[in-house]
Amino acid sequence: MNDKQTTRRKFLVAALSFSGVAAGSLGISFLRSSAAWAASEEDAENLATMGRVAQLLFPHEGLADSVYGEVIGEVLTWTASDPSTEGLLNIAEEALNTSLGEIWATATEAEQLSAVTALQDEAFIVGIREMVRFRLYNNAGLWQHINYPGSSKEHGGYINRGFDDIDWLPEEG
Amino acid sequence: MAKQYEMNDSSVVVIIGSGAGGATLSNELAQKGIDVVCLEAGPRLTLADVVNDGPTMDQKMGWHDKREGPLVWICKTVGGTTMRWSGITPLFQEHEFKALSTYGQFDSGTTFIDWPLTLEELRPYYDKAEDKMGVAGSGDIPDFPETNNYKVMAAGGKRVGYKEITSSRVAINPVARNGRPGCQQLAFCNSGCAIGAKWSTLYTEVPAAELTGHFELRSESMAMRINHDAKGRASGVVYKDKDGNLQEQKARAVCVAGNVVETTRILLNSESTMFNDGLANSTGNVGKHYMRHMFGYALGLMPQPVNFHRNTRQSGIILDEQYHKPERGFAGGYIIETLGLDPWNVSHWIGGWGPENTVFTENYTNLAGIFVTGEDPPEATNRISLHDTERDENGLPVPVIEYRDHANTLAMRDHSMKMSRAIYESLGATDFAGGDLPAGAHNMGVARMSEDPKDGVTNRWGQAHDIDNLFVSDGSTFSTSAAANPTLTIVALAIRQADHIAERMTQKTL
Repeated sequence: MNDKQTTRRKFLVAALSFSGVAAGSLGISFLRSSAAWAASEEDAENLATMGRVAQLLFPHEGLADSVYGEVIGEVLTWTASDPSTEGLLNIAEEALNTSLGEIWATATEAEQLSAVTALQDEAFIVGIREMVRFRLYNNAGLWQHINYPGSSKEHGGYINRGFDDIDWLPEEG
Repeated sequence: MAKQYEMNDSSVVVIIGSGAGGATLSNELAQKGIDVVCLEAGPRLTLADVVNDGPTMDQKMGWHDKREGPLVWICKTVGGTTMRWSGITPLFQEHEFKALSTYGQFDSGTTFIDWPLTLEELRPYYDKAEDKMGVAGSGDIPDFPETNNYKVMAAGGKRVGYKEITSSRVAINPVARNGRPGCQQLAFCNSGCAIGAKWSTLYTEVPAAELTGHFELRSESMAMRINHDAKGRASGVVYKDKDGNLQEQKARAVCVAGNVVETTRILLNSESTMFNDGLANSTGNVGKHYMRHMFGYALGLMPQPVNFHRNTRQSGIILDEQYHKPERGFAGGYIIETLGLDPWNVSHWIGGWGPENTVFTENYTNLAGIFVTGEDPPEATNRISLHDTERDENGLPVPVIEYRDHANTLAMRDHSMKMSRAIYESLGATDFAGGDLPAGAHNMGVARMSEDPKDGVTNRWGQAHDIDNLFVSDGSTFSTSAAANPTLTIVALAIRQADHIAERMTQKTL
């Protein structure tokens, strides 16, 4: 890893600490995203901003910021691969800034929410929202957070692992 | 080794589609010694290809061709939508075969007719279908075990006064039967059953037909059009083969079972100088009266864990609301069924964003789920047609789907949501979400059976009114929708149609 890459990595990690979580939890997910490495510092700021947008759209208390970061990295990779969606995340950030009349990323949570709410029916926000939704709710970190184990075939399903173990229902009607 | 037929062999019956209708008809005919070539647009998977991963399986087996209009959730794979279906198999009720006589037209827009057959006539074929598919609780097959999700629905159902509640009526083996294993509660029914406990034609009808030596399956073969001879009888099917080459398989008879959207497309795309508006369409009914049921889902946030991800998606029904009781404010009835969803679908179906949405996924293990399906009035304006100019990657016109809910459907959904909420609140649910679904999965009506040719496309056997060797063999033939999930009835009708085709061949009228 050369100096320039090291600097960029540090910058990415710092930029993605969008809600005060220790930077250490954020790095690994972004190493997975080649798009993140190719990004300029401006793009890295955009990723951090949109990670925060993802968190406001689908808030899960206690879910690591790195999960939202990973999801936004995947969305960026996806949008960059398709001419019809390329630059979508930048467009969204600019629209949020314009809507608020200041830098959205550094605004208060109430202000951030009001800007997202004002733009919630715009096609680009809906598009990003659904891309985030799909990736977030198919993400292993999110699954772990909500105790969803995913594939069961390799464990023989639940026939012997609690498919009928509910014990709190009333005995009769 | 399965049989292989020559392209110019005009003694074969060509069947388009290998799902519930097409593969059942194929196997039934092959068992009688009738030669069949089945064209399936999708690939042939094996159970080893089936993984517990919704998005991956959707890529492997979903139908993603370009379309306009509301989403339709069907499959392009050997086995068709029997790979994705939940396996739930309620029966039609007697009055549902007499929809017009029972309900009357609601307004000038509805196009109700009575079926040209009765429950009594179909009952022996329902019995055969249940035996073939292994419906839990039918014949000598044990009841399906009661899952967590079912127990919640049943306990709440009893509290609101429901009586007709069962965990059975599902075509998933409760115990091993006919070479297929018992259900292991993998809980990924809609991504293909990885062990084959759920009935799908991929590993039942298709291999059984191949063993007869009277059947050839051609997968990755996309039917493009049906040709006819100078007398106007179906003579062959043009399709694009695995390598992208156009072929024509000559035919003694042609049966279309492409699942409603594709059935419409192939009939309309087969226009000729003799049939300007497409095949079987002299009365202009092909593509019209499209029905997809009153659909709804309900999620209850329960006070303690349910863990519905450990359960078959749909095993359990409440039948008390299936009857025609106009005092509820709508005609026809609906059926309440269990529903399990993965986290993405929970979030996606609820829609929107923010804490109102995420409270359900955050408390995923405490969710219980209900699905409702009910009578859907046919309307001429609910229809499938072909785009004038847009073409897909095969050069076929893009299907255009137009569908809206009738006021009766809206009233029925409201009622079903009220009852679902009551079921869950009777057990202390702290939150509730419910409403329409983002896609249609029950497709019916675009080539409906009618006594009078001016009202429909096919006769009581699913034979085109216009062409005596052209048949429709999927849900397209439903005269009206009834409330029940359609697959069992599609299978029963296909078995009955096979008897009819064989009889006509014996009589030398086909």
